[in-house]
Amino acid sequence: MKISLNWLQTYFETPLPKAEALADIFNFHAFEVESVEEIDGDSVLDVKVLPDRAHYALSHRGISREVVAITRQVLKPDRISNGPESTLSKKPEVQIEDTFFCKRYMARYAEVTEITKPNPHAQVMLGAIGQRSINTIVDATNIVMFDMGQPLHIFDADKVVGTIVVRAAKEGEKIVLLDSVAGADREVSLTSTDHVISDDDGPIAIAGVKGGKRAGVTDKTKNLIIESANFDSTSVRRTSTRLNLRSESSKRYENEITPEFTASGMNDVCALIAHNISESRFGPVVDVYPIKAEQKIIDFDPKYIEERLGVSVPLADARDILMRLDMGVSEEGSIWKITLPFDRLDITSPVDIIEEIGRIYGYDKIHSVLPPVLKDTVPMDKTFYWVEHLKDILVTLGFSEVQTYTLVPKGYYEVSYPLASDKSALRENLSPRIIEVITANMHNADILGVETVKIFEIGKVFPKSGEKVSIAIGVLQIKKKKGMTSESVLKEVIAQLEKMSGAPLGTSIDVRNGIALIEADISMREGGDTPEFNGKISELDSGLFSKGKRYAPFSRYPFIARDIALFASAGTNEETVRGVVQTSLEKSAGKLLIKGPDCFDRFEKGDKKSFAFRMIFQAFDRTLSDEEVNSFMKTLYEAIKERGWEVR
Amino acid sequence: MKEESPRGHLHPITTIIREVAFIFDKLGFSVVSGPELETEFHNFDALNVPPDHPARDMQDTFWIKTKPGEEKKVLRTHTSPVQVRFMERIAKEGPKPFKIVVPGKVYRNEATDATHEAQFYQVEGLYVNERVSMAELKGVLEHMMKKLFGDDVEIRFRPSFFPFTEPSVEVDMRWNGKWLEMGGAGLVNPKVFEAAGLDSKKWQGFAFGFGVDRIAMLKFGYDDVRLGYTGDLRLINQF
Repeated sequence: MKISLNWLQTYFETPLPKAEALADIFNFHAFEVESVEEIDGDSVLDVKVLPDRAHYALSHRGISREVVAITRQVLKPDRISNGPESTLSKKPEVQIEDTFFCKRYMARYAEVTEITKPNPHAQVMLGAIGQRSINTIVDATNIVMFDMGQPLHIFDADKVVGTIVVRAAKEGEKIVLLDSVAGADREVSLTSTDHVISDDDGPIAIAGVKGGKRAGVTDKTKNLIIESANFDSTSVRRTSTRLNLRSESSKRYENEITPEFTASGMNDVCALIAHNISESRFGPVVDVYPIKAEQKIIDFDPKYIEERLGVSVPLADARDILMRLDMGVSEEGSIWKITLPFDRLDITSPVDIIEEIGRIYGYDKIHSVLPPVLKDTVPMDKTFYWVEHLKDILVTLGFSEVQTYTLVPKGYYEVSYPLASDKSALRENLSPRIIEVITANMHNADILGVETVKIFEIGKVFPKSGEKVSIAIGVLQIKKKKGMTSESVLKEVIAQLEKMSGAPLGTSIDVRNGIALIEADISMREGGDTPEFNGKISELDSGLFSKGKRYAPFSRYPFIARDIALFASAGTNEETVRGVVQTSLEKSAGKLLIKGPDCFDRFEKGDKKSFAFRMIFQAFDRTLSDEEVNSFMKTLYEAIKERGWEVR
Repeated sequence: MKEESPRGHLHPITTIIREVAFIFDKLGFSVVSGPELETEFHNFDALNVPPDHPARDMQDTFWIKTKPGEEKKVLRTHTSPVQVRFMERIAKEGPKPFKIVVPGKVYRNEATDATHEAQFYQVEGLYVNERVSMAELKGVLEHMMKKLFGDDVEIRFRPSFFPFTEPSVEVDMRWNGKWLEMGGAGLVNPKVFEAAGLDSKKWQGFAFGFGVDRIAMLKFGYDDVRLGYTGDLRLINQF
């Protein structure tokens, strides 16, 4: 909800705090202010009104009461004068068929000389809060809605035939909407859960959502029927959602507003029209209001203030806060009878009163205390402990834990409105992603400095039989070693894992493209009463809390690996050679050398010693070219030769 | 001879969840869990988010296709349904005071970027007793943040709205001179007790929820939430 400071100021005699200060006040006592904007001598606060306060705060009036409660500023009396007297006898016939849907319907006939172009004042007011100004009549309804919260609608009286009826729509009933889309009329088809305003010829508006074209106001309109009404929140929400017709009106109705304000909405809009069009004349107000809203009274025991907030609020302060919020407080013994303003539909029980007192008094006045120690503690979830215990074992065996996405292209459980076609179902197993992850990491083996990629994931999977906890462990032996294959490494690990965890995995290894993989259901099974499942949190490895450890960003660009092999004399020390290689590359490549030189091979042959080093080059901001790295290597070869060593 | 393999690495999210579980274990909070594929009732209705209510718009939801007549299911949008499940159990077994924490994966049907991911982790806390206050809530949250981020952090409350708590607050933390939004909290709404079968006249409680990914990113210094779900060991092996 955009709030114009100039607009808000019209509620008060004394100057309001500056926009930034007001934003702070709202942030800590009412609602979040998402932005403050300066517009032509005005400040506009974008206030995030959440659903609970949307009953009353989607208006400058609602916000003004917050200002009163928080800052103790005083409202101007009689800010808006009484609307015009009726000088015409003509009045609309109104009938409400569905009184649950429509709690109150007011209508008034009016004659205007002409509908003029917007006046500059209206343009500035509406412009500040991001609304388009249209003409004197439409602007009047919008200004009143943003001012006090009541949506209003105006029909061309000459196009309304017979009686106005508020009723459920007929299945398949059609209406052409007031606003055209790209110059073309838009017709929508209604269902029996929608509600319409209808005359003898059919619907003239979708109630609370959108007006129809047939009885809509045009430049030529001279005679008006002004509508101020109260419609059911759920029905308006369903209809506006289904037809994808969200408007400022429907937004207010779907958050539920009080039928008590229907009358002030009618009064204010007539006053504004009369003010803007001096020769306008009005008929009597028709008011169909079958069941008058009752003013709610909450019984409140003030002892709960301290009990719930944990801070002692002087009772006089608490009472004063409620009164500044326009509530009536009368004491009956130890109980407060709190009479609520009609529009505070969010307040239904004593806890809501606690919140009102707490936020206005200030949450900063609450001091921290720790809750008491309880006699009994809840037993820890066995699956949680079992999963964490398995993670510890796998980490000791050299495995890294990965997390991948639950949403995948295909699976038994499908998502209704997926974000993307490759995220349209819940995974039935972990294996496919684990293979992809191993492959991706294989390409980075040099950077990671590993000869074997060893990973695991433990997470929920969703086969037809329902949600399960699954573990997948994958191994890829990159560098060939005698007697070591991906499968043999994994086999060895599974044997140890089963021994250490005390439970068999119960499935077999699958080998594909050199990757050995096992996946097993590890949901808590019968017999989960062995010690493995019943440890304490404190028995898990806490040495892994990386105290102060910070992430070092890595480049997303490809890297280039280069080896150098050389012969030196028999007495040459490995560190000396490494030093020479490093010094040369530091000079030529600098930060582009991201790993190495690492000696990966050494042997002696006669009076010569051979060394082989590997280096990795990578840039942070671009793809490194071969030519660049070649030039580093060329300089390196020269440095080697200078030492009298021989590049192999 | 077999080579001794070097240690592997826990995922940063696991490290944070464990650290949080350790901190709360010392305060007497036990870890409990619940399903990720949740019923509409537990994810919304029982938490005072009725159908066709604007509060449902507060969380973009992944609805699961169901057959006609089947109970509607969602990927849980928060860990709060576990509150309801646990209270239903307590109501059956015999109501008594308790303290629980619930770490778990949650889902939101929204476009992803460096700070938004369709899946992420939350940790939920719930304390129920015959008398519970906002001061105790503040105490527990301050304790947690100090243990995680150091003794010089401060916390503050700002008014907010969650259908399942009343009063509801946003929790901010001041760390390295900056105020950061960390999570939501409040006193358990009596309607939630009633939905779970506990007497709301007798029982009170507080509840809170935090994003684990956000804590991990702040603590470890990585700046893209999506990085955590790529399986990239260039991240994971740093921890």
